[in-house]
Amino acid sequence: MVSAHGERAVGGAPPAEHRNLLPLKILVAGGFGVGKTTLVGALSEVPPLSTEQRMTSLSDGVDDTSIVPDKTTTTVAMDFGRVTIDDALVLYLFGTPGQSRFWFMWDELARGAVGAVVLVDLRRIDDCFAAIDYFENRGVPFVVALNEFPGTQGVDDDLVRDALAVPEGCPLVHVDARDDASCTRALITLVEHALAHSG
Amino acid sequence: MSVDRRQRPQTEGGRVVPNYAFTAGRTRSVAGTDMPIEALVTATELGLAKAPGMPPEARAIVEASTVPQSLAEIGALLDVPVGVARVLVSDLAAEDHLAVHLPLVGADGRPRRELLERLLDGLRAR
Repeated sequence: MVSAHGERAVGGAPPAEHRNLLPLKILVAGGFGVGKTTLVGALSEVPPLSTEQRMTSLSDGVDDTSIVPDKTTTTVAMDFGRVTIDDALVLYLFGTPGQSRFWFMWDELARGAVGAVVLVDLRRIDDCFAAIDYFENRGVPFVVALNEFPGTQGVDDDLVRDALAVPEGCPLVHVDARDDASCTRALITLVEHALAHSG
Repeated sequence: MSVDRRQRPQTEGGRVVPNYAFTAGRTRSVAGTDMPIEALVTATELGLAKAPGMPPEARAIVEASTVPQSLAEIGALLDVPVGVARVLVSDLAAEDHLAVHLPLVGADGRPRRELLERLLDGLRAR
């Protein structure tokens, strides 16, 4: 059965208990070693899994790379986790590499996302600028989450906002990426922020 | 590579499957469904009935999907890239062996408000 994009279900009829299933996703962006996998693991009900996503440099959702086999592609490994929200909603968290050379390829991943958590290690802030720029330019709701490493506590939030060029209105939160409750609070802040900008 | 990828290969019969050859060179499914990485997959009664006669990778997908699985999870399960999982799932969905649950987004491309509210309620209850 062929179905237009935008319809809820395709394929065969699901069993009754699965009829209302709906996926949601939140991206967790940040540089190497900033704690993305730790955060995903703290929230996920299963140990974080890893998958590969092949991305094309000209991805516009219509391109068929089978017609142009030489088109530039790259394969990016992503960690992800799963959080069951209620009897029908399942939230997926995707940890996305923050290297700036990848960001122009993230449109497919960002499409339809609730929003993003940009995880920051204040000792190495360079990695987060590309992510902040990307989500701001694409209108994807996001929060900046400072992962509390030794020696990074007690820095004035206004200084941090200035240093990271966090846009006005964008929430800045402090997290311990190892702690479920702390990470959950960051997600709550993100969803509240997304709701405030939802039509 | 000398294969003409525009020509759709035979999909009937058993596949001999070294990794990405799962999809016989296709990067798009027959159904052509634009399926995001978080799309959820569940097995249908028909799929479960037919599973024992399926090629191993198709059978593995259908049997795992008695519990809802995302495309990302299918990829991890089979240890193949998401694009490969997408083609396999699309084929199974086209034959009504799987049901695919797509995200519900509004005109702005973002999840609808009522979903965000349910998500917020669920997170606060954790």
